Amino acid sequence: MNPLLAQFLAEAADLLTSVDEGLLQLERDPGDPELVNEVFRAAHTFKGSSGLFDFPELTRLTHAAEDLLDAVRGGKLDLDSGMTDDLLAAFDLIRGWLAHVTQHERLPASAGADAAILITKLRGPLGGDATTPVVEKAPIVHVIAPPPEWLSHFEQEWLDATATWLTTTSSTLRFARYLPDEGCFFRAEDPLHLISQVPALARIAVVPPDEWPSPDDYDEYACLIGFVLATRAGHGELDHLFRYVPDQVEVVELDGDALRRFLNGEVAPEPVEAADAPVVDDPQDPAVVEDAYAILAAAQTSLRDQQEVGGVRLASIAHSIASAAAALGDISELSDLNAEQLTETVNRLLGSTPAPPAAPPPPALIERSAPEERIDRGRADDPGGQVGTKILKVDQEKVDHLMELVGELNVAKNGLTFLADSAEEEFGSRVLSRRIKDQYSGLHRIAEELQAAVMDVRMLPLSVAFSRFPRLVRDLSRRLGKNIELVMEGEDTMADKDVIEALADPLVHLVRNSLDHGIELPDERTAAGKPPQARITLSAVADGDAVVVEIADDGRGIDPVKVKRKAYEKGLISEEELESMGDQEAVELVFRAGFSTADQVSDLSGRGVGMDAVRASVEKLGGTVTMKSELGTGSVTRLRLPLSMAVTQVMVVSVAGQRFGIPVDLVVETVRVPGGEIGRVLHQDVVVLRGEVVPVIDLAAALRMPWTPDENDDRRILIVSLHGQRVGLLVEQFHREVDVILKPMEGLLAYADEFSGTALLGDGLVLLVLNMKEVLGLAARAA
Amino acid sequence: MTETPVKVLVVDDAATVRLYHTSLLSEAGFAVEEAANGLEAVEAALTTAFDLFVVDVNMPKMNGYTCVETLRSETVGTPAPVLMISTEDRPGDAERAYAAGANLYMVKPVSAERLVRVARMLTAGRGIPA
Repeated sequence: MNPLLAQFLAEAADLLTSVDEGLLQLERDPGDPELVNEVFRAAHTFKGSSGLFDFPELTRLTHAAEDLLDAVRGGKLDLDSGMTDDLLAAFDLIRGWLAHVTQHERLPASAGADAAILITKLRGPLGGDATTPVVEKAPIVHVIAPPPEWLSHFEQEWLDATATWLTTTSSTLRFARYLPDEGCFFRAEDPLHLISQVPALARIAVVPPDEWPSPDDYDEYACLIGFVLATRAGHGELDHLFRYVPDQVEVVELDGDALRRFLNGEVAPEPVEAADAPVVDDPQDPAVVEDAYAILAAAQTSLRDQQEVGGVRLASIAHSIASAAAALGDISELSDLNAEQLTETVNRLLGSTPAPPAAPPPPALIERSAPEERIDRGRADDPGGQVGTKILKVDQEKVDHLMELVGELNVAKNGLTFLADSAEEEFGSRVLSRRIKDQYSGLHRIAEELQAAVMDVRMLPLSVAFSRFPRLVRDLSRRLGKNIELVMEGEDTMADKDVIEALADPLVHLVRNSLDHGIELPDERTAAGKPPQARITLSAVADGDAVVVEIADDGRGIDPVKVKRKAYEKGLISEEELESMGDQEAVELVFRAGFSTADQVSDLSGRGVGMDAVRASVEKLGGTVTMKSELGTGSVTRLRLPLSMAVTQVMVVSVAGQRFGIPVDLVVETVRVPGGEIGRVLHQDVVVLRGEVVPVIDLAAALRMPWTPDENDDRRILIVSLHGQRVGLLVEQFHREVDVILKPMEGLLAYADEFSGTALLGDGLVLLVLNMKEVLGLAARAA
Repeated sequence: MTETPVKVLVVDDAATVRLYHTSLLSEAGFAVEEAANGLEAVEAALTTAFDLFVVDVNMPKMNGYTCVETLRSETVGTPAPVLMISTEDRPGDAERAYAAGANLYMVKPVSAERLVRVARMLTAGRGIPA
């Protein structure tokens, strides 16, 4: 994809987001002129940028949206929800198109028809007023050029078929002739490569030289051939592509009629100036003359419309007149002239009498009083300032790669400690060992700072995860007939991009749950003495090295009695538990696998995945999820996630000579007990710790590794806490805690659920990090 | 002959258009800097002496007209040539640009050749009085 199109797609994604957000806010706050202006500007920018490519439907559609918004901005129309729907639909359509463009570099075939429907809708409220003709003047409409003689290099048959096709679709194609310079290879130009880069290429043919040189004179380093090509790419794209060789390329835009005329033998004489490379400042070049006249005419207008032209302006006008005059081959010294003399010079150069009397000065002239004041206000509005800040958009993969490299640097760095040990132990040099350790601590500090810096780059605001909810809540609440206000707080809270990305699905699920099950219909709410408009609050706060995200609603809440009965019916809890379970515990039952409170599986949520899936994905991130609910007043779900998941602290243990990692946040303590203190309750080994009976799982058995503890040795047991329950793991040996960069299991091992990932240790060994939940499951099955 | 490059400031809020203008001009040998709105342009002009400004009309924070007026006012006071390039082709727009102090008003899309040709023409002598 060419960089210009890539830039456009990136910009378009940002624009679409701001349009969506703006429109939704407008619906809530319809009169806000600042918001209208913002959305208008986004549509306007869209239109302007799309004009650089051959996306006429996109330009037309954004133009229609822009006109509607302009009318709203000008106070001619009030934005109602019907218009908002149409505008949202238009931008949704555009979003779909852009996805297509990303893949195929052109709009889908249906674009014209789809656009026409929406354009009609968007123009509906405007009536048939003066805005309509503006469409015809959209900059994308190019002048159809007379067919050049070089079209004959294309096959007759293809031209014939293309002419018919262009006529039936009333579209146009751009035809280009590229005649590389004979010596182009010596200027590092690569015509073949250039041709291969032409987007949306429809046809290509070779232009042979007028006469091939005799074999004796043949110079293999001379480029003798040229190309003609037909493409659907826009002028902007072609200009960009051929920017190094503009003098060797000629582009015309032709429709079916023009092609037909060519086929009938009506060839326009080849313009002389197009055949020769125009020298930019050649006074004979009509294009230069035209531009020079345009500049002179502009200067004339400026001089005429302004009664008093100040020093700076006069200097600038004098300069532009001098430049144009120089381009026309007339060297004059103009810098000391006054306004009248300048006017005279311009008139002389333009060879014309003074232009007709001046129109009244436009409003801009009257209000151009205090520009300084405006700057100050602009600064005050923007204290932290986008002014002057430089923001770099970087491909996510590059940052990921950087993170990986930092991880590897850490590993390599840790290797130094092993080297220091061996310097002392194997080579007996304590001095060398200490020097290596000194080096290590310097390197360690830098590596830590580097890691912190890269982590900081990866931080994104929660608003990235929150941004989709206004739209989602709006659409779903309409569909469900509920009246809901969405409040978002703390969107500026930052978290690692992986956390934010992984948060997206659980959040959608939770918000949908609130919408679907939590919030009552307006009638029901009124009957319960609540305001008819419900409220869902999404909030985020940073708490130490964690971020806490809450989804709260003021809906009907969860009935603990109902939940308990349901769980009992589904066999999730025993009869005993049904009796004794507290309300809070009961509410948390919704996180159990196989539980769904909705009696009917609704359209929105509860498609087989429930809150248990939310818990699973949050726990996979190293987070926790809890829920509180009060019957009749609403529910709060709280997600607590690490700010960053790039570095994990693990405790290393070994069993059967093999080392494994266990996330440190699960570890409660390490204990050593004599073998005789391990008891047995039913089929389960247990140990009694400070009066509490803790089940003990043999890690080797769970992982099916051959190992039995020595009869006389103390048993080493690692106590971990999982969902508030303590479990002991029987291991062979405890080792130290290390910081590792966890890499997910990939390829064939991706299905090894008992491991959450691998990490490289400083001595080059690979550490498998255990997924404790799965390991406990395995142990239960093994028992 | 050592020649300092001709400095151009491209002012446009649309990143795509900015890239387009910037790449055309820098390949033509200009030293190009960018600004995303009028305010940034004015800030840049306060610290750097540009030989040419290429300014869009419709921009947030400060639009093209105000930007050009400010460039010409005592605050900045640069007489360097200003090209205004706009999507709009409504009657009166060009006059408004000239009233603000622009030297040429052009309607998008401006062909690559024309942009470079005009830019070269306006900076050819570089005898821009200070």
